[in-house]
Order: sequence, then structure tokens, then C-alpha cells
Amino acid sequence: MTSTTTVRSLGDVNFGEELPVFDPDTGIENVRRFCQAAGWMGPRFTDHDAARAEGLPGALVPGIMSQGFLAAMIHRWAPTASIAAIDTVFRAPVIVDQAYHIKGVVTDIDEASGQVEIDLTVVNDAGETRVFGTATVRLPIS
Amino acid sequence: MSKQDIEHNIEEADIKAARAQFLDQVYDEKTFVFTADQFAEFARACGETAPRYTDPAHPEFQAPPGFPCSLHPDKRMPDGYPKFNGLGMDAGKAVTCHQPLRPGITLTGRTRVHDIYSKSGRSGRMIFSLIRMDVFDDQNTLLASADTSIVIRERPPA
Repeated sequence: MTSTTTVRSLGDVNFGEELPVFDPDTGIENVRRFCQAAGWMGPRFTDHDAARAEGLPGALVPGIMSQGFLAAMIHRWAPTASIAAIDTVFRAPVIVDQAYHIKGVVTDIDEASGQVEIDLTVVNDAGETRVFGTATVRLPIS
Repeated sequence: MSKQDIEHNIEEADIKAARAQFLDQVYDEKTFVFTADQFAEFARACGETAPRYTDPAHPEFQAPPGFPCSLHPDKRMPDGYPKFNGLGMDAGKAVTCHQPLRPGITLTGRTRVHDIYSKSGRSGRMIFSLIRMDVFDDQNTLLASADTSIVIRERPPA
């Protein structure tokens, strides 16, 4: 079941619901913009040829940018959500200029505290999970 | 006992010794000041749409949640930290957000080794070092804890 409405409070959230999929901009110019802001201007992130010279399949999307995509998906689904914690595991490289899909599913709802647990994945067009993780999110109870 | 068993036992002892020597000892302290534009650019490039992360004029403007994970200590590891034999990589990042990070204030990052452990799987053994940076504001209030998990994939015995 995929959520189709914008979530404003805990009452709008259903156990097992899938967050709307977010397809992020992994283009080289956007990754360079991110690296500039984050202070991560290494050539392995900003230059395909330099990355290949290091033995990599191409320039890498920094792990912290993949984590940022996951957080952005949560805020697109629930603009009032406050992320209390987010934990990401980098299973395989995310390559610049390739297509990825950011997905999430609600795995727990705590009615008393207003906290929601979300399982997160970054998946490529072949359906391979490159990054996965979990987030703990707080929402207004009513 | 095979040669492989002996090598593994020695490395487990190394891990135990490293835990005793390094765990939760602050080995780096570094200050940072960020502009609102840096926070907003970071957020926009990630596809954030919530104005409290993308619009510096918003009354609740703050760094996006993952921002503390981008902070580097001056020293990557403590002095004297063992160099485990193998291929190293960044295995993951985690952040716990306690209070918002605001632009223009001096932030202090204090870094320590929070955990060291090994795991064995089908592809062999891996040694994990969990590096935690606690980020404080100028009133020494803890704002965030950012974890980096560094994994060394053990080289198979020759």
C-alpha cells in the first residue's frame, strides 16, 4: 500500500505503508554542488575518469548524500516529520549519473510517543539494494 | 590448530587490547562554523523540500539531519591505533539528532572510538571500528552524535 496523501500527523500513518518513491538527482553537476556544500570535493566523487583511475566503476555518490536522499524522501512524505535518528549501511557503490530509487516502508508506530520507524533502501534500476537503513521519525500526535 | 586459527586468535586478542586502550577516549576536538547557504545547498542537492532546511529565511531554519555525518575530525584515528591487515572502507553512517544545528554559531566536534568488533561471514572476517563524533554548541549542549562505521575486510591468509 503506497501512501498517496501528505502526512501531517501520526493519525495519517498506517503500519506497512510504503512512502512515495523518490528518484533523486544523481547527475554529476548536482553531486559536485553537494560536495562543495559538504566540503567533500574529492575527485572520486566529482570526476568519472579520476574515479576509474582509482579502480572504481565511476564517480561515487557520497554515502552522506545517499543518506540525505533518504531523509529528503521522509520530509516529502511528511513535511512536519522530525528525524530523531537515521542509520544507513553502504552495501554497494552508488554511481553518479545512474538512476536510483529511494524507498521506505513504515515498520512500527508508537502511538504514545508519536514515533514511527521506517525501513529505507536505495535501489538501482536492476532492483539491487545499494544502501539500506532505518529511521526513527517523530510526528505530531494529533 | 591450523595456521588460520592461530592468526584469527591473535587478531581477536588485538581487538580486545584495542578496546581496552581506545574505547570512548576523546582523541580529537575540532571547531566548525557553517553558513546558512552551506546548510541550504546541502539540503537542496539532496532533494529536500521542507523550507526549514532549504530556506534560510524560515524561522526554524537548521541543518538537514544528516549534516553532522559530513564533519571530519582532524585525526581520522587515535594515535597508536592498530592497523588491521585488510581492505578498508566506509560501511555506514548514522546520526542521532538531539537539537537543531543552526548556522553562524561555533560547533565543537569531539571524536572517540565508540566500538570495535569483528564479524564473520561467508566472505571471511571483517573488523569494524565505530567512530563517533559528538557535536556541541557554544553552550556545550549536545546537538547530535554522528557515527562512521569503518570496516576492514580481512585479507585471506597467504
